[in-house]
Amino acid sequence: MGLFDEQLTAVRRFIDEAEEAGRLRRLDSPEAEPWPSGSSLVLEEDTVLELGNPSIGSLSMLVWAAEGEAHDGAVSLVGPDLAEASGTGLPFAQVVIAAGDFPNEYDSYRDLRDAVYDTKLKGLSVRTMPSKQVLWCRVSREASDAGLSIGHLGAALLESLRDVPGVTAAEALFVTSGQEDISRLSGAAAGARRLVDAMMKMYQENNFDCETCEYQDVCETVMDLKQIRKKLTDGKAV
Amino acid sequence: MILAVCGKGGVGKTTVSAIGAKALAASGVKALIVDADPAAGLAMALGIEPKRTLNDVRKALIEEVKAGRRDERDLAVSVDYLVAEALTERDNLAFLSIGRPEDVGCYCKVNVILKDAIEMLGGMFGATLIDAEAGIEQVNRKVMGAVDYVLLVSDTSAKAVRVAETIRDVSGRMIPDAGAGLLVNRVREPAEADKVESYTSLEVIGRVPEDDTVREFDAGQKSFFDLPECPASVAVESTLAAAGFLP
Repeated sequence: MGLFDEQLTAVRRFIDEAEEAGRLRRLDSPEAEPWPSGSSLVLEEDTVLELGNPSIGSLSMLVWAAEGEAHDGAVSLVGPDLAEASGTGLPFAQVVIAAGDFPNEYDSYRDLRDAVYDTKLKGLSVRTMPSKQVLWCRVSREASDAGLSIGHLGAALLESLRDVPGVTAAEALFVTSGQEDISRLSGAAAGARRLVDAMMKMYQENNFDCETCEYQDVCETVMDLKQIRKKLTDGKAV
Repeated sequence: MILAVCGKGGVGKTTVSAIGAKALAASGVKALIVDADPAAGLAMALGIEPKRTLNDVRKALIEEVKAGRRDERDLAVSVDYLVAEALTERDNLAFLSIGRPEDVGCYCKVNVILKDAIEMLGGMFGATLIDAEAGIEQVNRKVMGAVDYVLLVSDTSAKAVRVAETIRDVSGRMIPDAGAGLLVNRVREPAEADKVESYTSLEVIGRVPEDDTVREFDAGQKSFFDLPECPASVAVESTLAAAGFLP
């Protein structure tokens, strides 16, 4: 059993159903060269496409899995790619799965999270609000004209994740099809966030008064959280 | 380049800033305009109604921390997101307002967020213009730590010039690498500005005449983006050019 088993099952189900319906595309091997990295501020007047404006749907999710439970290098898309967008905005979900061996969950989570935060592509401004799990991006006209695609973003994310110690495989799913599809992932994302928040609280506050803790419900039902708690209370944590 | 417009209250800092914002809009340079004065006069002078302010960012962050989210990196990216939400854009300009906390008293926490926002965003814009709070508080608290040039504004009164000199002294200690120069505002006769220049230790880099067009725009609450070329606007623009802020 893994910490995010329930969430991974929900994501796999979403991918399988989209694939069966012929709505999922694999963007694993973009023919283009890797997109140059760099922080970008894209103002409205330079924006050709906005992704994940919270008013039309936005979701960001990061989970890890045991070795062998991610399709290494897989970048999947449900919905139009950047160049196929018909308007000036698309809903946007980004689901990242890293598989490997993570003996210290807290450090590993922070390393994985930082790898996602630090993936910055030239001409794409990305802003995220972790507590709301939203990801708000702007694509510059210049980057769009030069051919920036979801495949470039996926490839860059996976490359960053593979640099994290312990990671043996990484995959990414993007959804731009609509709010309805994003809503189907939102339960899993909220569950993942709650697990992460519970884990962060254990490590950061070192307080194990379960009677007063708002995460009591997840800690009692998720085996991995129980194990983390035991490890910390036994003083075995790093 | 980051330029802060500082000086005593009532000397015309906001008018100078508004004319500077109009000039930046015309230049096409990607520019950040910061209304760092809780009185929020610059937003009004430009006819901008910010939907969110840095004070709203502060409140949202307090909620994050209250909810137990204290991880530094998560809070940092949250600030980035919330500040981006607080930007009001108009063509090549992005406008950011410090806002007014409802609770009376200390602005320290908002000023800390302002400092971080200026440092975070400043480098991403070709130019940043800050309409600072009157007096020395923001300079003293290193809010202006990333500023490259302090444009001191005074009218022709000795009191306003003394305040400008005090701000220069403080900024000289806090941000020693920043340049500084004095703009003498609302000059009715050249002799008035000559007199200021005769006793101040500040380098006078501009004289801006009293101007009925500016007074009309102020009184009528018209947007300074619509200000026609007039003696005051020409003088402010040439002063900003002398500071190296405008081409």
